[in-house]
Amino acid sequence: MKKLLLPVLPLALGLTLALIWRLERWPDPILYLRADLATWLLLLGLALSLGAALSVGAWALAGRRWAQVLARARQDEAEEHRRFIRRLDHELKNPLTAIRIALANAVAGKDDPIIGSVRSQVDRIARVSADLRKLADLEAQALEVEPVDLAELLTELVEMVRRRPEPAAQRLQLALPRAPWPLPPIAGDRDLLFLALHNLLDNACKFARPEDTIEVRAIEDSAAVLIDVADTGPGVPEEDLPHLGEELYRGSAPRSVEGSGLGLALVRAIVARHGGAMAIRSRQGRGTVVTLRLPVTR
Amino acid sequence: MERAKSGGNILLVDDDEAITANLAPFLERAGFAVAVAADGEAALERIASAQPDLIVLDVLMPRLDGRETLRRLRHAGNRTPVILLTQVGSPVERAIALDEGADDYLKKPFEPYELVARIRAVLRRSQGDAPSLAGAARLRCGKLELDRQARRVTLDGQEVPLTAKAISVLEYLMLHPDEALSRERLLDAVWGWDYPAATRAVDSRMAELRRLLHDDAANPQFIETLVGYGYRFIGRVGVAL
Repeated sequence: MKKLLLPVLPLALGLTLALIWRLERWPDPILYLRADLATWLLLLGLALSLGAALSVGAWALAGRRWAQVLARARQDEAEEHRRFIRRLDHELKNPLTAIRIALANAVAGKDDPIIGSVRSQVDRIARVSADLRKLADLEAQALEVEPVDLAELLTELVEMVRRRPEPAAQRLQLALPRAPWPLPPIAGDRDLLFLALHNLLDNACKFARPEDTIEVRAIEDSAAVLIDVADTGPGVPEEDLPHLGEELYRGSAPRSVEGSGLGLALVRAIVARHGGAMAIRSRQGRGTVVTLRLPVTR
Repeated sequence: MERAKSGGNILLVDDDEAITANLAPFLERAGFAVAVAADGEAALERIASAQPDLIVLDVLMPRLDGRETLRRLRHAGNRTPVILLTQVGSPVERAIALDEGADDYLKKPFEPYELVARIRAVLRRSQGDAPSLAGAARLRCGKLELDRQARRVTLDGQEVPLTAKAISVLEYLMLHPDEALSRERLLDAVWGWDYPAATRAVDSRMAELRRLLHDDAANPQFIETLVGYGYRFIGRVGVAL
């Protein structure tokens, strides 16, 4: 309210003075303001500049206010989403437990294939619910931050993935900088970072054809480390790209490829918790590169 | 009456009838005598008249929840082993559950066979006259000592520079001596998440523990590897004064 009053104040002051002048019948001479054209032009320019400056300032202020409102709304929405996931998970827990026990009672020694199939579907529901819940918790819980040597982490990860059965995984390439200096340590939760990078490589290997190439590269870029996980695999259809990393989004990927639809969402959440970002570029039939940007200092 | 069953007397406390109606017969078939209470107050009344060998206690219940029930029980000096059935995942909340004197906990939705295995393990541990490890502030195994409050580990009186995570792993191992602990269970208990492939994190902390405790993997004093499964703490664990 105060901000609104300020511009009106001079007008109110002028009005009051004019009224007093008239009522008191003080001497009221006519004043002529005369100037040459050049001065008028100068004054006009000045007035226009003043007006423009004022409106630009007001605009910027409104923009900042709007951005704050938007950020707040997004935060509220995310929080509400997390609450919903927790409640859903909570409501599913007792029935799932009861079904599991009932199944165990129903089998009681016999080996029934129908019960086996029901059991595995119950496991599947339980896993999706638990994974969604863990994802929601991850966005809120504290990280166990320690200095993480990414070169060492990537080397361990790549050695592990090379033991997979896929031919493309066995030929996995890792490129780490040695000159002018090796990668700086970053402050992060090592186990979560390992998990995020493992998920990316797991995706690349799962979809790779035998002749495909998978590469992992890391470089330092000002105050961040950039990690690329790139493959010459089947790529992602353009219409799927904006949705990658959404919970339970599986796109048009063949159902035959195992997955929960939570892998990339998990990567995105882990990277976001480290103050970083994930970017995906892909061309169908050519391949995909996922780039993680992890800040060095937090 | 039901005392004829040799497995032990279990008091099952849960407000959800879908759980108790299925779980009670399951536990009976596993050889336990089972009594059911629908909430904490009913459980405390029942315990006052007939002392069970072990209590399986749900955390979220109307009237008197599992946590408060456990607190009152311990406050009254009752040391009956308790397995908590928790709903939540965060490691902090689980640590609180153990701090309040639960002997173990299981996260819903659990596999009933897993519950039976935990009940047997807790009963086995509590049968000796040794004081319960769960409530102890300091644990000892030979030259190894773990101060649970100060989060400090000493070997032969010398402090061992372990990371916080490694200390939590060691604590869980020492609280479950002689139990085969799968990597998944360790992850779930200590890390609070059990994504596939994360089991690697467990191996990496075990390597740290072994290196700093000078424990030879081929001829271990403390931590034995169960190939393709997990780990087992083989030392004899007692309460340190």
